[in-house]
Amino acid sequence: MPVVTLQHSRLERLVGKSIDEILAMLPYIALDIEEEGSDYVKVEYNPNRPDFSTDYGIARALRGMMGMELGLPRFDIAGSGTAFYVDASVKGIRPYVLALLALGGSMDGEDLRQLIGMQEDLHMGIGRRRRKVSIGLHDYDRVKGPFHYTTESRDFRFIPLNSSMEMSMQEILEGTDVGRAYAHLLRDHARYPIIKDSHGNTLSFPPIINAELTRVTEHTRNMLVEVTATDLKTAGDALAVIAATLSDMGFSIGSISIHYDDGHSMRTPDMESRRLSLPMERLNLLGLDMSSDEVVDCLRRCRLDAYMVDDRIECIVPRYRMDIMHWIDIVEEVAIGYNVSLMEPRYPRLKAMGSRDRMLKVLDHARDVMVGLGMIEVMNFNLVSMDLQYRMVEREGNDALIVEESKSREHEVLRDSLIPSLLDVLSRNIHEPYPQRLFEVGRVFHRDGDGIREEWGIAAVIAHSQANYTEAKSYLQALLYSLFGIGTDAVRTLPADEPPYEAGRAAEVLFMDERVGSIGEVRTSVLGNFRLRVPVSAFEIIVSRISSSLIQQEEAG
Amino acid sequence: MIALHDIERRLILALAGSEGRLDGLSRVTGLSMDQVRRGVEWLRYKGIVSIEERAVKQIGIGREGLNALKGNLPEVRLVDAVAKHGAEEGEGVSLRDARMMVDLTDDEFNAAIRYAREKGLITISNGRLYVKGSVDLKSLPEYRLLARLEGGWLRLDELGGEELNAYRMLRRRPDYIVERDVKDITVRLSDHGHSVLKQILDEQVRVGGEGTPAVKRIDVAAPAPIIYAGRRHILQDVIDEVREILIGMGFEEIDGRMVQSSFWNFDALFTPQDHPAREMQDTFYIAGINASSIDADAQTVDRVSSIHAREWGYTWSSEEARRLVLRTHTTAVTIRYLADHRPDEANVFSVGRVFRNEKLSYKHLAEFHQVEGIVVSRDATLRDLMGIQQEFYRRLGLNRVRFWPTYFPYTEPSLQSMVYHERLGRWVELFGMGIFRPEVTEPLGIDRPVLAWGGGLERIAMLKYGIDDVRELYSNRLSMLRGAARCQL
Repeated sequence: MPVVTLQHSRLERLVGKSIDEILAMLPYIALDIEEEGSDYVKVEYNPNRPDFSTDYGIARALRGMMGMELGLPRFDIAGSGTAFYVDASVKGIRPYVLALLALGGSMDGEDLRQLIGMQEDLHMGIGRRRRKVSIGLHDYDRVKGPFHYTTESRDFRFIPLNSSMEMSMQEILEGTDVGRAYAHLLRDHARYPIIKDSHGNTLSFPPIINAELTRVTEHTRNMLVEVTATDLKTAGDALAVIAATLSDMGFSIGSISIHYDDGHSMRTPDMESRRLSLPMERLNLLGLDMSSDEVVDCLRRCRLDAYMVDDRIECIVPRYRMDIMHWIDIVEEVAIGYNVSLMEPRYPRLKAMGSRDRMLKVLDHARDVMVGLGMIEVMNFNLVSMDLQYRMVEREGNDALIVEESKSREHEVLRDSLIPSLLDVLSRNIHEPYPQRLFEVGRVFHRDGDGIREEWGIAAVIAHSQANYTEAKSYLQALLYSLFGIGTDAVRTLPADEPPYEAGRAAEVLFMDERVGSIGEVRTSVLGNFRLRVPVSAFEIIVSRISSSLIQQEEAG
Repeated sequence: MIALHDIERRLILALAGSEGRLDGLSRVTGLSMDQVRRGVEWLRYKGIVSIEERAVKQIGIGREGLNALKGNLPEVRLVDAVAKHGAEEGEGVSLRDARMMVDLTDDEFNAAIRYAREKGLITISNGRLYVKGSVDLKSLPEYRLLARLEGGWLRLDELGGEELNAYRMLRRRPDYIVERDVKDITVRLSDHGHSVLKQILDEQVRVGGEGTPAVKRIDVAAPAPIIYAGRRHILQDVIDEVREILIGMGFEEIDGRMVQSSFWNFDALFTPQDHPAREMQDTFYIAGINASSIDADAQTVDRVSSIHAREWGYTWSSEEARRLVLRTHTTAVTIRYLADHRPDEANVFSVGRVFRNEKLSYKHLAEFHQVEGIVVSRDATLRDLMGIQQEFYRRLGLNRVRFWPTYFPYTEPSLQSMVYHERLGRWVELFGMGIFRPEVTEPLGIDRPVLAWGGGLERIAMLKYGIDDVRELYSNRLSMLRGAARCQL
C-alpha cells in the first residue's frame, strides 16, 4: 500500500485546524497512520484513492470531514489554445495521450516533493507500473506548442533527465536503471514513442524518461503535464487527480486539445462530475437511523453533492473519485461522512447453533489420541524446499508440485508427504532431551489429472536410542484403534522398499485393500542427511482416506 | 506412649527446633492451613504446645494498585506521554494539551499532576507543564512496594523505612492498598511437648533398630527425572480457542481446498485480472498444470466475467481464471460455499492456511493461518458486523475495540479493527471486515447482504504467548513446545 509523508505545519495550514484534531481524524477518512514523528506523520492510503497521494488531496477531504468546506470542490479550467497532435504510428504501442497546462503557480521544495510522490504513486497503482499510464511533468517555459506525440527509431538521440549528454533511445533502455526497469513495456517494437514541441525539441520518451530540457524545479512557474496510456479511461482518471491537485496548489489549469490522426479530437483534462442515484432504503445496510438531511450532509462532508428526489438520493461525484463505481460505494461514503468512530456496534445474537466441520472433527480426535500417547504436535509449512522434500529423503521429485517464481527457496514445492518436515524438526532439536516423539496433522497434495488432489494426513516420528519399527507400529495400531476402532486384523502392513525407509524394515499400510500410508525405520543415509545420531522410526497415514472408506462402508452396510 | 494423630506428630517434629507461625508450619509440614489449625488446637488441649496471640495489621494490593502495575502509575504515564509528544526541553506544554496526550480520567489526571509534582517529576508555572526528564518506573518506591504486594499480603510491622514511606503515599489514593487486621499466632512446644518429642524420636529409632525388614528411607527431596506431557502445538491451541468461540456464537465450521482456481480466489471476488495482487510477485501459482476448465458452473462464470468486462472495462480471460493458485485468503472458501449453497440465511466460518509470495521476516510469513466468517441475512447491517467483531474479541478477553474505514476490493463498506491489549499497554490491529459488494454476490444469485470478516491468527497467538517474531511459531523448538503452559490466563 502506498505511503505519503505529511508535515504537521503544512497540514495545519492547508486544513486550518490544529494538528491534534487532524491526526485524530486521519483514520476516519481511511488513512492508516504508519509512523509518527515530532513534526510529521506517515500515512498509508488505499490504492483506489490516488487523490490521497498528496497533502493537498488529503486536506481537501479533511476540510469536508471537519465541516469547513462541504460539497463538490470547484476546479476552474480555461482553454489554453495549445494542442497535441497524435501520430498514427503510436497506435500499436501506446495509443493515447492527454495533457494539461498548469500556469502561474509557485512551488516550494515540499510541494515539488509531493507532486513527484503523486506521480510515482499513480505510476505504480492505477498506472500498473507504467504499463497502463505514465506521466510526464515539464517546465512549459522551455518549450513551444503545439506538441507532437509520435515515434522515432531506436537510435534517435536526446539528453535524458539527470544526464548531460545525448543518448540514443536504445542506450537509455539498456544503459540506465529506469530504462532497464521499464524496457519490457516497449519490447517487440521497432520504433519508440516520443513527445516533441513545435521546434522539434524532445520533451519525453514515454513511458521511460523525460528530457533534461524540461526538468521541473522549485523555480518552475508554468507546467505542462502529459499522460500517455494504453487505456484511455485510466489516463483520464490520472489526469483528473493531477489537475485537482495542481489547482489546489494555486495553479490555473489550462485545457489542451488533443488531435488524433484519424480526425477525432478531445479536450483535456475532463473534470466533468458524474451522477449516481440510489434509493434511500439502500442505506438500511448501515443500521443507522438517518434523515435524508443527515444523509445529504454526510455525503457533502465527503466532498460529494447530493439532493433528494422522492425516496432517492441523487449524488454528484467529482471526476477524481474513480473509486466510486456503484451505489454501494455511496453507502460507504455515507458511513465515512457519518464518521465510523460514532457508529455503535450492535451484536445480533444468532439463532443458529454452531458446529464443527465433520473432517476437522476427526482430526481433532486424532490429535487427542496422539497427545494421549504422549506425542508432541509440531506445525510446519505446506510449501517447503525441493531439497528437503526430495533430495534429503532420497526420493525422486518428478511429480513435485512446484510454485512459480517463489521469493524464497524454503517455499518451492507443495508437500506430498509430511515425514520430511518432521525429520527436519528432529534435526533442529538434536540438543533437546530424547526420547522425542512428534506428530503433525497436515494437508498432502498430489497431481490428479489436470488438477490437484488434497488430502488430510497424519505422520509421526519416534527418535531415541532404542527407536525401531515395532515401536512405530505400536503407536500406529494405537492411533487407528483409538481413533476409528480399527483392530490389528483390519490393517495390513506389507513389505515395501521405499525411501526414506531402510530396506527390509518398512511397509506400506493397507486398509480395506487400499494403500493409506507407510511405516518403517528411517535409513541411515537419510539420518546422516539430517545430522541425526539416534535411530528414527516413522509412519504416515492419510486420515481422510480411511474416514471416507469408513463412511462409505457405513452407508453401504 | 501418648496416642498422637499423624498431623500432631508432624507438627511436633516441625516445632522441634523453634517456635512457628501457622503459615510457616503449613509450609514446613505440607499440611493445609486447616489441618495445621486443627492440629495446633488438639496439641494445645493436650498441653503439648502453648500459643501466643497478637493482633497485627496486614496490607495488600487493591484494584487500582493492580491497574497501576499493569498500566503504569498515572503520573508516570503523564510524564512519559508529555515527554514522548516531544515537548522540547524548556518548552513545556499547556495543561490542556497535556490532558489530551494521555488517556486518563479527569480524576486520574488531577491525581497524576499532584503526585508528579510531589515527586519533583514536573513543575508547573503559568499554566504550562515542564517535564524534568524521563522516569524509570521500576525505581519508584511505590512501584516496588506494589510489585511486592502483588505476591501476597505483607505485615505492616515488617515494612522497611522506604517501603513504609511508599505505603503512606499509596494509602492516600483510593483502592491502591487494602488493609486487614489478622491475629498473629505463635506456637511453641511446652515442657511436656519437649518430652513427647523425645518419645517420638526414640520410637523412630526403635522401629528402625529392631531388625524387622524396615523400608529403606529414601531422599524424598531429591529431584525426579523429567517427563514431558504430550501436547498440541501452541498455535493449534489458539486455532481451537477461536473455533470454540465462533461455534459458541452460533457459527458453522467449513473447510475447503488450499489450491484454488484464480476464478474463485480473485475473479469471483471482483478483483480485476490486472490487479497488482494477482501478480506472481505476490501470489503463488502452480507451475506446469493447465486446468482444462474452471471449476464452476458455466452460468456463474458467465455472470462474473461480464461484470468484470462491464465495471472494469477490459477483456476478461478465461485462461487467466483457470490458473491454479495457492489461496491468498480463506475468502476463496467462503465464496465457494455461497456459490454452492446460495443460502437465505447462513453463519459460517473457516480457519485455514493462506499463502503469499513474500520473503520471511519477523513479521511476515509466506504461509499463515486466517480465520474468516460470514453472515448472510436479509436484515444484516454494518453495525451488526461491528457487534459480531466486538463480541468475538470480548470472548478472547479483549474488551476495547476501535473501528475505522479501509479498502478491500470485494467489500464495501470496509472497516478495519484494532483492540487494546492490556498487558502490552497498546492498540493492536486485528481483523478486517466488510459487506460483500453486489458485484460479488449478485453473480452467485445472492440478493441479500453478506457480512464478512477475517484476519490472521498468528498475531493473536503472538499476543497470547508474548512472541515478537512470527517465525517462532513455526520454529518447532521442542523446549518451547514442551514448556508452553496450556493455560494462558
